[in-house]
Amino acid sequence: MQMRAEHKESAAKGSATATRDIYIPSERVAVSGGGTPHVVAKDFSIYYGDFEAVKKVNAEILSKYVTAIIGPSGCGKSTFLRAINRMNDLIPSCHTSGILRFDGEDIYGKLTDEVLLRKKIGMVFQKPNPFPKSIFDNIAYGPRLHGMNDRKQLEEIVEKSLRKAALWDEVSDRLERNALGLSGGQQQRLCVARTLAVEPEILLLDEPTSALDPKATAKIEDLIQELRGSYTIMIVTHNMQQASRVSDYTMFFYEGVLVEYAQTAQLFTNPKDRMTEDYITGRFS
Amino acid sequence: MTEEVKSDGKRSNAFVVSPQKRKMQKLAKNAGEALLLGIASFVAIIVLFIFYFVAVDAIPYFQLRGFTEFFTSTGWYPAGEPGEFGALAIIYGSAMVTLGSALLAVPMGIAAAVCLSDILPFSVRQYAKPVIEMLAAIPSVAFGFFALVILAPLLQSNGGPLLMWTWWVLAAPFLLLAVIVAADLLSARFAQEENRKKMALLLQSLFGILAVLVLYVVGTKLNAIEIITGTNALNVSIILSFMALPTIVSVAEDALQSVGRELREGSYALGATRAETLLKTVLPAASSGILAAVILGIMRALGETMVVWMASGNSSHIPDPWFNYLEAVRTLTATIAGDMGEADQVTGSARYHVLFAMGLLLLVISFFSNLVSERIVVRQRKILSGQ
Amino acid sequence: MNLGTRKILDNSFTAVGMGSIVVMALALLAVLTPIVYNGVGAVFFTGTIEHRTILYKEYGRGDAKTIETQTATAERYRGEAYRMLSDFEAEMEGMPFEASSRYRSQYAQVRAAMSSLLGPLPGDPTPMLTRFQYGQTRWEKAEEKLHEILYEKKWDYSDPTVMAKAFYVPRAEAFAGTMLAPLFGYLDRHLADMMQPEFTVYWGFFTDRSLDAHIFGGIWPEIQGTFFLAIGAMLFAFPLGVIAAVYFTEYAKEGFFTSILRSANSTLAGVPSIVFGLFGLAFFINTMKVSESKSVLAGSLTLAIMILPTIIRAAEEAILSVPKTYKEASLGLGSTKWNTIATVILPAALPGIITGGIISLGRAAGETAPIIFTAAVSVGSAIGIADVFSSPTPALSWNIYNLASEHEMACEIRHVQYGMVLSLVSIVLLLNLSAILLRAKISQKLKG
Repeated sequence: MQMRAEHKESAAKGSATATRDIYIPSERVAVSGGGTPHVVAKDFSIYYGDFEAVKKVNAEILSKYVTAIIGPSGCGKSTFLRAINRMNDLIPSCHTSGILRFDGEDIYGKLTDEVLLRKKIGMVFQKPNPFPKSIFDNIAYGPRLHGMNDRKQLEEIVEKSLRKAALWDEVSDRLERNALGLSGGQQQRLCVARTLAVEPEILLLDEPTSALDPKATAKIEDLIQELRGSYTIMIVTHNMQQASRVSDYTMFFYEGVLVEYAQTAQLFTNPKDRMTEDYITGRFS
Repeated sequence: MTEEVKSDGKRSNAFVVSPQKRKMQKLAKNAGEALLLGIASFVAIIVLFIFYFVAVDAIPYFQLRGFTEFFTSTGWYPAGEPGEFGALAIIYGSAMVTLGSALLAVPMGIAAAVCLSDILPFSVRQYAKPVIEMLAAIPSVAFGFFALVILAPLLQSNGGPLLMWTWWVLAAPFLLLAVIVAADLLSARFAQEENRKKMALLLQSLFGILAVLVLYVVGTKLNAIEIITGTNALNVSIILSFMALPTIVSVAEDALQSVGRELREGSYALGATRAETLLKTVLPAASSGILAAVILGIMRALGETMVVWMASGNSSHIPDPWFNYLEAVRTLTATIAGDMGEADQVTGSARYHVLFAMGLLLLVISFFSNLVSERIVVRQRKILSGQ
Repeated sequence: MNLGTRKILDNSFTAVGMGSIVVMALALLAVLTPIVYNGVGAVFFTGTIEHRTILYKEYGRGDAKTIETQTATAERYRGEAYRMLSDFEAEMEGMPFEASSRYRSQYAQVRAAMSSLLGPLPGDPTPMLTRFQYGQTRWEKAEEKLHEILYEKKWDYSDPTVMAKAFYVPRAEAFAGTMLAPLFGYLDRHLADMMQPEFTVYWGFFTDRSLDAHIFGGIWPEIQGTFFLAIGAMLFAFPLGVIAAVYFTEYAKEGFFTSILRSANSTLAGVPSIVFGLFGLAFFINTMKVSESKSVLAGSLTLAIMILPTIIRAAEEAILSVPKTYKEASLGLGSTKWNTIATVILPAALPGIITGGIISLGRAAGETAPIIFTAAVSVGSAIGIADVFSSPTPALSWNIYNLASEHEMACEIRHVQYGMVLSLVSIVLLLNLSAILLRAKISQKLKG
């Protein structure tokens, strides 16, 4: 199993021998200041009761790059993603073994404050889930939680976040309207903006486009490209085209095991593992 | 919201806190949860208190007078010197009106629940539901007022014709149905294939005449009845049945809804009609939930105070004959409500404590009924979810 | 069975189900129609000059000038009748004893009915009770009294197999040939002149104190008492219920202890209401001594216990119906659990919680049995807000019972009883209706 993906100054060039009908960007620009191990898993397992849903994962996720997680349904990819900001704590029977580190500190350590952790590691969910409040209040929710009450500053943050999420132009004139009135794609970008407003270091995207139409999906993908380089982004996706379009690195999970982890271009053009090849060529899904 | 990058370029690990702080956080969390638990336990404490305080005031009665008189005598003269405290007739009265209301409410309630869950289209159901909710919301004293001021005089002045018309309206369609079914079954059993139609027709006319005769004879008998007092067990049973109906309907409907579509579809696929599907498949599958609904409905009728106090006549005797619903009766709840006014002047007397003994009896019955119905519902849920 | 019969059975089965629902709807209609029809009559009715006089004298309302002229007219016509009475009395004086004793008891009945119709007759001492100081205030009651004067009620016992039947004999026949004979025709002709009927809208029915145990006046003390009791019960039960619901939905771990707590909740919901009354008496009043004897406080506490399970259940349901994604989103932004509950879950569940609260409020307002021993008194004036800790109060539910079953003139004041029932039913049903509308609005909002 490939554990550590070598980082090169210039990310892999798309192989000319690509025979699969997956589009792979020919060139990716390297990110300055990125590439250090941001999240590190060592023999990390996740259990639901007695069932081992994720099995002894060893991997390093590199900062400021986009890492995609692919694999068939029920392979543990979402579970792994949600373990990183401890959203799995909501499931009473869920527990872990092994080590998962963020910036060198144990995420599951005794002294970890999961509330502060989640502030640093933001998450966007499968279905857009804005609160039934105004657009402004949705974005301001996080900063307010962390003690910011100055209206002026909040306005700044809201605008900045909405701009980052490429939503500002569409909603700037109706910030006080209920967020539930937005379209699905706008709602999802609002959720991204809401997460950005607390200034996380890592963005976890759990199948963020699965509930959206192609047009809205394209916008979210563009957004991910925009954010690449500023945040460490991890995205779980069912859609292999999407993984190849947006990510620098790709992890392939199968039945809880991290089967292959490599630069995206390499994984899609020249997979080392038979299983990976079967999956990306559509022999099973 | 500053970028948390230290001067040496290494990010601070702001999510790891000091052991002391972590300890404080845990402590605060546990304390908060303990407080919440305390408030949530309030209900359980109240239940214990209710049992305790009712029992504490009920036990002195049994110490003073023993058990025999209370449960076996029908003499109720609490104000006499010495007083008599035979509650048998009162317990009987409670049982009688409860049974009467159940006889009326259970078939209607189940039929209505089936109708709501399986028969009515959504658009109609939207209007049926508020009817049931409003019936449930009307205060019991308003029902009691209706029973006393409107229904009782009506029964007293026009009881006979009223009973007759009710009998005709209710019995005629059912007898007609019985005639058709009986003729069909018998002709299928005893006639050859080619004679079956004729035989059925013959039997239908035969049974038809019989049915009309029954309708007429019973009708005239009912018409001749003179109701001495309108405040009687029948009046109360009717009103209580309407008060119990909403409970029965809503709980039974939940039970029917929890029986899955698959079961219904399976039955339809075998060529069963809707009635057959419901009667032979859905109702048996939901039977325990419906039983729970019936128990809860009966408890509603047994525990009701104002209607029986106002409209049962409050006469402590066992009717003659024992099933005569046209006589006045007295119930446990009405006795507690009616006698406490005088009895609480003499706290400590048997007269005061006997009312708590009645309360305890009601409490124990309601407790076990609840327990049983809850068990039943839980069991059904388990069976249906296939565990 | 042949297919035809099966089809008939199928259809009849449907008919039985629909029939049951129709019967329920009819029952609801049968109960509500007379209550609404007669209850409206407590406010809108044809009032006599006596009604206006009471309003003016006891409550200081009305136009003095009009009342004065109307009274003068009425008195003119009444004077004629009074003159006939005194003429007849004089005539009786002159009769031999046997002759006059023939009339004496009948005449006493006429006199009593007259004073009930018109108020104290000239020469009578002013009665102690307010109810005897005035004549009939409502036109239909005045007509009833007139009938009582004109006809004597007799019973027919001729057929011993059936109950005796009532029949009426004109009194004019009995008094034929005396100076009283013209009185009956005169009263019949001039009733309207003597009573001055006028269509009346008496909103004061809701806001006036009652006079002489509800024989005259309004029902404000009852309305206020019901309000105090129900609101008081909510003040205790609502916060407790919502917090308990938060515990059950967000914190409780499934296990033996939690299942005990849940069982306790459904047990409490099933306790007969009269037992709550006994408990309230034994615990709050006799043991805790929250008040000397019955009080609004004791009644509210008792009602609070009664509605607690309903509130908990409604709040639990409302909280559970909040999409899980809200919670995830909030926690994902680095919010604490408590913060998430307070700022996201509870606001989203609020309409549902309030719906449950409103329904419970209606239940607390309508219940009678728990307050019989703990809070309710039959006759009383409205109490001040400061008295809720120590004094009992009249309440709609209790006084409906009391006026209909125990009042010495229950049959004479049906209109007050109906008015009270209508007030109570309207309060409860309006609360329920607003809950239903609120719920409909929520489900619409959730659909987006």
